[in-house]
Amino acid sequence: MFKFAHLGDCHIGANRDPVLEKLELAAFRKAMDLCVQEKVDFVIIAGDLFHANLPDMYVANEAVKKMKEVKDADIPIYVIYGSHDYSPNGTSIIDILDSTGLIEKIVKGEDIDGKLKLEVFTDPKTKAKLVGISGRKAGLEKNFFEILDREHLEKEQGFKIFAFHSAISELKPDFLAQMESIPVSLLPKGFDYYASGHVHRRNESGFPGHERIVFPGALFAGYSRDLEDNAKGEKRGFYIVSFDDKVEEVKFHEVSVCEFEYFEYDVSNKNSMQAKKDLLEKLGRIEAEDKIVVVKIRGELSGGKTSEISSSEIKELLKENGALEAVINRFGLTSKEYVSIKAMGEDIPTIENRLLRENIGAVKVSIEELKGDKGAKLALDLLKILRQEQKLNEAKKDYVERVQKHAINTLGLEDEV
Amino acid sequence: MALEVSGQIIAGKTGQILVREKAGGEIEIGDLLVAEEDGGYVVLQAYELLYGSQVPQLVRELLAGMKLEGMGADLDFLEPQLRNYVIAQIKAVLWVSKDNELKIPKTLPRFFSTIRHVSEKDLHFLTKPENPVYLGKVRSGSKVLDVDVFVNGRDMLTHHVLVPATTGRGKSNLVKVMLWSVLAQEGLGILVLDPHDEYYGRHGKGLKDHSAAKQSLLYYSTNAIPGTNTLVINLESIRPSHFQGIVEFTDAQQDAISMYFNRFKDKWIESIVRGTDVGTAVAPRTLEVLKRKFDNVLGVYLDEDNNVQCRSGVFSDTAGSATTKEITKALENGKKVIIDTSRLLDEAELLIGSIISSGIFHRYQVYKSEGTLEEKPVISVVIEEAPRVLGADVLKERGDNIYSTIAREGRKFRVGLVAITQLVSLIPRVILANMNTKIILGNELTTERQAVMESAAQDLSSDDRTIASLDKGEAIVSSNFTKFAVPIQIPLFEKYIEDSLQPKEKNKTVFVG
Repeated sequence: MFKFAHLGDCHIGANRDPVLEKLELAAFRKAMDLCVQEKVDFVIIAGDLFHANLPDMYVANEAVKKMKEVKDADIPIYVIYGSHDYSPNGTSIIDILDSTGLIEKIVKGEDIDGKLKLEVFTDPKTKAKLVGISGRKAGLEKNFFEILDREHLEKEQGFKIFAFHSAISELKPDFLAQMESIPVSLLPKGFDYYASGHVHRRNESGFPGHERIVFPGALFAGYSRDLEDNAKGEKRGFYIVSFDDKVEEVKFHEVSVCEFEYFEYDVSNKNSMQAKKDLLEKLGRIEAEDKIVVVKIRGELSGGKTSEISSSEIKELLKENGALEAVINRFGLTSKEYVSIKAMGEDIPTIENRLLRENIGAVKVSIEELKGDKGAKLALDLLKILRQEQKLNEAKKDYVERVQKHAINTLGLEDEV
Repeated sequence: MALEVSGQIIAGKTGQILVREKAGGEIEIGDLLVAEEDGGYVVLQAYELLYGSQVPQLVRELLAGMKLEGMGADLDFLEPQLRNYVIAQIKAVLWVSKDNELKIPKTLPRFFSTIRHVSEKDLHFLTKPENPVYLGKVRSGSKVLDVDVFVNGRDMLTHHVLVPATTGRGKSNLVKVMLWSVLAQEGLGILVLDPHDEYYGRHGKGLKDHSAAKQSLLYYSTNAIPGTNTLVINLESIRPSHFQGIVEFTDAQQDAISMYFNRFKDKWIESIVRGTDVGTAVAPRTLEVLKRKFDNVLGVYLDEDNNVQCRSGVFSDTAGSATTKEITKALENGKKVIIDTSRLLDEAELLIGSIISSGIFHRYQVYKSEGTLEEKPVISVVIEEAPRVLGADVLKERGDNIYSTIAREGRKFRVGLVAITQLVSLIPRVILANMNTKIILGNELTTERQAVMESAAQDLSSDDRTIASLDKGEAIVSSNFTKFAVPIQIPLFEKYIEDSLQPKEKNKTVFVG
């Protein structure tokens, strides 16, 4: 019987706060130690090992040291890019570590006659076959899935793992309904295990032909929403999968590095002063000792400014009461006196989408197509086009022309130009 | 078509004008004809044909007998075209003034006017509106004119559409043509519950072949094709109200459902399926019956390992959390969503439609109260075998459901129905009256034709024979949004899309691992 570990979304370097950064690294160390203790035969990290493609050198160094221990224990680490540590030109930290042999990137393929033929990697010890498609920003990897030669992969014999870093439409949590995703039907069928990443909530599910699709979720927290989920009881960790010629057991291993406390406060029908006083009083009574306290403040103040409920004051109080750190979520806080621009979301596209839709009305234009949902959609489409990268073998002039052409088409100005 | 005289008005009254057909005038049932008037012209339509003869009946019988019995093979009438002829019964359907004003005729055309077949020019007022939904070409009898018939989709869809016809008359072809014509239009969101899996084009040409399909079409199926979505709905998305009028529950079962929902919220179905104890509030027998019902309707049961399973895979406790939100959002963005329900039981299909339609309806109610409804695309729900939810007996037994609510109140909230049925007579008059566009295809059943004619937007009381004689692909559009009941020829879908199909460009992709 063999074993492999499946992690995803470690997001090392996501937390700039020193306490959270320490905990984030502690979670990674703990997970790696568990892999060694459990004597897994290999580790798969399904994207977003790091929060950025060129992360802070301190955290990168700490993570590398830990991975070196795993490597020295004769446990290979297989990875794919996530949407955060992706680099279009092969200059991510993932590539550097791949070049050193510390980790191995299991994504290789080429377009043959319009079909993406992926190379199958074989783990030398277990003979498990590994194939992957990396994540890209804004769900652009969907294009690769659309031209994927699934038949070629489905014919492959042996114990097979498919690693990818994309949300699956059928498995997204409802609050991520607008997140770019791929339908499960784009995955090749018949793999023994689908090692997924990208969605930060744990999910084990399956469909006929895709029996075991597993999202381990974030290892600690890549976003403040993850911290909120942790405080609400979401268990963080990773999977260890036992197998021989088929999967025998899929077991979740919790990685807990601290305790959390969640506190939600509704300011409705209070002015800023009343709300502040009441909130601080209530927060003063919670058990904060050695915990990360997540405070969510929501509702509409009947008067006063939202800034009068000061995050720093709340943090100060909680730290005085022994909290390791306090995370304040004020996105749902508004005041009758003014409306602030809110920016809450999982990733940049979601925030862009929301901001454009919420604020398009503030832009005064006379052209009907530029107003309302239509205008927001046009802006988003345009952003998508402007985000296109230069292809590897594409001349700059061709690149500029291509983007211009797409932008003109999107704006419906073909006849004007 | 030449502008030749086809006949002359010889008698009649309003709604029943008699025309003597010119020899070779080729007037057919359903033909559109024109009588020129001072200041404009009248468009007329033939609905009945009779023989007329100047020769007494006894003489005609004798002559026929002689010819049949071989006693005078060369015998014939003197100037037969003058003595024997066809009388057409026609009605005036539209008055067109010289300055293009259109009116329902309130006077008879001039006595003894000549009439001619309609020409394309005569129908110049049939223009392409905003948000056009294509229905076909104008048909005069069996002759097809090169005049396209479009209806404003925002108007038509919010005021509901009824497509009555018996099997094989081209209902699904018509709906496919309509959907194709609006697929790229962002102002119209359309949900199609497709019990025969015939719109997407799994096995042939379909909406998937439209150039805008990638951006504007979503397809959900329990048997997904690569690139399309697997139909799966999380049990937590289902509310007790979604069963309203779709599944029958006794009072005791309703009470138990309320109790479980209040106590377990999103997990109410799972709790019932698991038989979670709620004390004496729910009788064990009631709970058992509910478990059986959910098994029958949703296919949900507990397996040996105590996991919730679904026989059809459509409902799940781990997957499908975002499905209804994604569909709702797509519709709100003016996309078209096809749900293949071909592998589902009736109740499961209607329940899924109910979950999505309720979501949309309630959101649009909110938009109306916020004053933002006008900015939103109108939304239409296409439902086959409509009497399953709109039938008088169903509504009487189970009460209103979301579909009947939409039929009655949807217009206010810009949500409409496209109801397809063979049995119009089962739908209550009050609902039929709310369906302001009827695209009537051939129907051999008198009772069904009667039900359609009685509720049509225009007076079709004399068109029984015309409807009965409609061939495959021929239809009559009776709508508040057409100037008169327009006879049309619906193109064959495969033919209609021929020119729009373009070979897909193949660009080499640079794969970045």
